[in-house]
Amino acid sequence: MPLIGQLAYGVKHVLELDHPKHNLVVYPDDTFIVSFPKSGNTWTRFLIANLLQLEPRITFLDMERLVPSPDGQARRFFKAMPRPRIIKEHASFDPQYKNVIYIVRDPRDVIISGYNFLLKGEIIDESYPYMTFVDEFIRGIRSHVGSWGENVASWLATRANSPRFLLLRYEDMLSETAGELKKVADFLGLQVSDSHLSEAVTRSSADNMRKLEKMHGDNWAQNRHMKRKDIPFVRAAKAGGWRSTLPQPAVAAIESAWGPLMSKLGYELST
Amino acid sequence: MIRHLIAGIKRGLGLHRPGRSLLILPDDIFLVSFPKSGNTWTRFLLANLVRPDTPATFANIHQLIPDPSGTSKREFSRVPRPRIIKSHDPFDPRFPRVIYIVRDPRDVALSQYHYHRMRKKLADESPVSEFVTRFIAGKTCPHGSWGENVLTWVATRRGDPRFLLLRYEDMVADTPRELRKIADFIGMSADSERIQRAVELSSVGHMRKLEQAQGEKSELIKGSRKDLNFVRAGKSGGWRSELPPSEAARIEAAWGPLMRYLGYELVSQAASQETPQFEPLAMLSTTR
Repeated sequence: MPLIGQLAYGVKHVLELDHPKHNLVVYPDDTFIVSFPKSGNTWTRFLIANLLQLEPRITFLDMERLVPSPDGQARRFFKAMPRPRIIKEHASFDPQYKNVIYIVRDPRDVIISGYNFLLKGEIIDESYPYMTFVDEFIRGIRSHVGSWGENVASWLATRANSPRFLLLRYEDMLSETAGELKKVADFLGLQVSDSHLSEAVTRSSADNMRKLEKMHGDNWAQNRHMKRKDIPFVRAAKAGGWRSTLPQPAVAAIESAWGPLMSKLGYELST
Repeated sequence: MIRHLIAGIKRGLGLHRPGRSLLILPDDIFLVSFPKSGNTWTRFLLANLVRPDTPATFANIHQLIPDPSGTSKREFSRVPRPRIIKSHDPFDPRFPRVIYIVRDPRDVALSQYHYHRMRKKLADESPVSEFVTRFIAGKTCPHGSWGENVLTWVATRRGDPRFLLLRYEDMVADTPRELRKIADFIGMSADSERIQRAVELSSVGHMRKLEQAQGEKSELIKGSRKDLNFVRAGKSGGWRSELPPSEAARIEAAWGPLMRYLGYELVSQAASQETPQFEPLAMLSTTR
């Protein structure tokens, strides 16, 4: 890093304006919303933000404030947050995280969503060989949080039996949103009425999130640095899209890499 | 504020320890284990294997096999590539190649208990049972519990050609054979003479002498009690005579299936009859 960059970083660090990232100071009463990327994490953050606040109505920016990400807010912000905090993460196992809600999603759908995300960020374009992308996905090459299998296994192997670990499947959240959100509320110790719960579900619907993304999605840190504005962040919000979209060799490669883990999670294998 | 300023200046000069911010290079090799599992010994073995011209000591080991939480960023920049880096971290997806050393947790608990006494973190009369309770809960160090640390690596990287799993017990039983595995793993052709020399330069007797001569120059030892040693027996199975059976039984109850998987014989009645509710290892594929 050149000297000016180092100095600027030093000043930011002293003023606590830098993002904490891996060096976030963690408290034992923090709850982390963890998932591999593209597994419904942002939706879950929206649902939780709507549990915490109905008025004024939650936007992407409010969500980023109520359930912040260690690479989206400054250290000073995290220090000033009222406790207990709820924090978003994609990290593989971290022993400091004592309370964890882990969202898992069928990797055959995750890969489709991940492909769109890479297109949106112009990291690859449509001409990129698809099976090369699949191979990189399986090996976790572009991921900072391990491959899908590594990320999921690191948490399940250590915490699956812990009362302070809540495992949710994205697919169950889609089919039974209110019921699964109730589990989240109970885990967080939030007292919410049934009507509040169903209002939170409505306001976090794919339709509503799509509208909100159009309104001020460009101001949201996550979208701001994304080059292609023609591809939205909020996509179909469906499960099982892989059956019609994902090429057969990609399905086979994923199932051969993580078959036992997928079966354990109730994702039926097709090969 | 002053503390922050000092930290800022140190950072500007590269005198801070990089910790988790270490920039990892694609050819890095990480030597990983839960604490008190033979990591320092293996560090010596590796350093003496790779750099026979510079015998490892407690004073230079931080430069030879650097530690992100013990070696400054500036010193890191002088380490020749491929770097071999020491770590106690649970699974970190950024580590490209990993040598993982596992040790029987009943011996690890005992060793850590002694270490904490030596480091003045525990009084002599502090009961072992209290320590074991904290050990099982993962509260004796910031690297997860023994089971969490081991499981995260085994569950994610088992069967991966970039991962070498070694047992401390096998290393004690046949050091040249296990060091040969390490040499092969890091792609180094070493004749048996070179292996033998590295083993001798890292023997318990030699390391104990080094500890006495230069312990004060090492972060591992500096400021510790003088009547206790960092280099202890260098043996395996000490728990059988030194750890109360009730404590061994609690450790077995906590991690029985994983211990059995690693080949550590269970002796308590309860643990050997127990069927695990959840077998994390069964769900993981061996092919990648």
